[in-house]
Amino acid sequence: MDKTKSLDEAVLLVQDGDTLALGGMTIYRRPVAFVHALITRDNPPQDLTLLAFTGGFASDLLVGAGLIRRSRTCYFGLETFGLAPMFTQAVREGRLEIIEESEASIACGLRATMAGVGFMPSRAWQGTDMLRVRPDVMTICDPYSDERLTAFPAIDCDVAVIHVLRADRSGNAVLGGNPTIDLELSMVAKRLILTAETVEDELPGPIDLPGLAVTAVVHAPRGAWPTSCYPAYPIDGEAILDYISACNAGQFSNYLLTSWIQ
Amino acid sequence: MDYSIDELISVCISRQIEDHEVVAQGIATPLVAAGYLLAKMTHAPDVTFLSAIGQALCRDWAPLGVATIEELWIGRGLLTVSFVQAACDLLPRFGPKEFFRPGQVDPCGNFNNVYIGGSYETPRLRLPGSGGIPDVTVFEENVLLYVPRHGRHTFVEQLDFKSGLGHDTQRRAGRGPRYLVSDLGQFDFEPQSGRMRLISLHPGVTLRRVQAKTGFELLVSDKLLETVPPTERELKLLREAIDPLGVRTLETLSGAARRERLRALLQKERLQLSEGEFHADRHLF
Repeated sequence: MDKTKSLDEAVLLVQDGDTLALGGMTIYRRPVAFVHALITRDNPPQDLTLLAFTGGFASDLLVGAGLIRRSRTCYFGLETFGLAPMFTQAVREGRLEIIEESEASIACGLRATMAGVGFMPSRAWQGTDMLRVRPDVMTICDPYSDERLTAFPAIDCDVAVIHVLRADRSGNAVLGGNPTIDLELSMVAKRLILTAETVEDELPGPIDLPGLAVTAVVHAPRGAWPTSCYPAYPIDGEAILDYISACNAGQFSNYLLTSWIQ
Repeated sequence: MDYSIDELISVCISRQIEDHEVVAQGIATPLVAAGYLLAKMTHAPDVTFLSAIGQALCRDWAPLGVATIEELWIGRGLLTVSFVQAACDLLPRFGPKEFFRPGQVDPCGNFNNVYIGGSYETPRLRLPGSGGIPDVTVFEENVLLYVPRHGRHTFVEQLDFKSGLGHDTQRRAGRGPRYLVSDLGQFDFEPQSGRMRLISLHPGVTLRRVQAKTGFELLVSDKLLETVPPTERELKLLREAIDPLGVRTLETLSGAARRERLRALLQKERLQLSEGEFHADRHLF
């Protein structure tokens, strides 16, 4: 089945109040072209919950543009390049609700959803302050050993957007590097959008993501810029530093309008 | 031979690694990557890396990069997994040795990477977050810490948030950090009290200076040593094989100075890439 769509068509699949998941990791293989098109579409969606293993460049754009009400990530920053400026500012000003996560809480939450159960047990978090800021996360008693365990709740996702190196028209895809949580996201998302460096008629396999659950495939060459898409291109570090400088000078909106050269 | 503080920290990290261990590296920690690779090239040839970038068990590696940081591990994995598998299965199963960099650390080695100052809802400074720290520190035996810029803002009596579990009464499994290295010295945790104890001063650093820059009372070992400086061979390996670009220097800088250094490194990296000398078997990058 041919699932190819234009970027403008695909961004309409995100609706107000959705949990929007972004594939890739921090500054690697992020769906930046999609996020930029989402922000600049007529009537961009509001009140979104951002779900990402790590928040990075693309997530910071969404927060800066005011589309995100709450964020669930285990890390939100720009790695070696420093703090994510719009995220840091929004949290300081109390404009962004945080659902505190760790690697295990996201990983277990996705596994619970995939398994069709309400939670997955783990040893993580016991004794730390994480449970204090996540009163919804319950501690349970292992019925076999009596050990106290954390019951991480299942995580739902309305729409996931994953940038890939290669895709075919029916949505089978090769990631290129950094599997992160993309296969799991592709299995829990109700709608799944791929943006791809290249779109072919039919990938021979082996593949990293099956096309079965894919809603739309978008041809987006350099669609991860300025994050990397291994092995096609590395991180554009200068562009990320320029972004940080613009944000620090209070020029976020201006940056989107004038500095966006892909 | 002259050396810089980043080199001394990487050498100290290297000396904490034993052969045949599995070692894990988080994100934005070039001093740790440099230390692990130095260990592999000297006394621990049989270490296996579990890398956050690329999510793989690796034995092969490439020199450190900034724009090309993924080259270090991707495409070199013995076994590549998703981060879900890494967090749920590999980390609990292998319990790798890992160095973490705390935003705040208390006398018992509990630490914080979530926020500093103000309240949780409206913090003075929101940090990136805890990653896998509250997951693995509650059961692992091999947690180690490093602080590239020792100061009272990092070494605090009372944490704003406990995301990493130290030598704490709440603990049910594993153990608190075994070791901490900063730009001033090396520390362990006294077995009875679980409190941080200075065991070695870096050359030229005084006990008074370390205490003045620490926000709580430090224990001091009866056998206080001076850190053995890097050897000529260690420096040569760091500078010529592991990190010719100088990425390891970033962690000792902050703010505008760090961004300036980043621009210089990116420029140098691009030049090396265009001249094709950066890495012999580099393919598409």
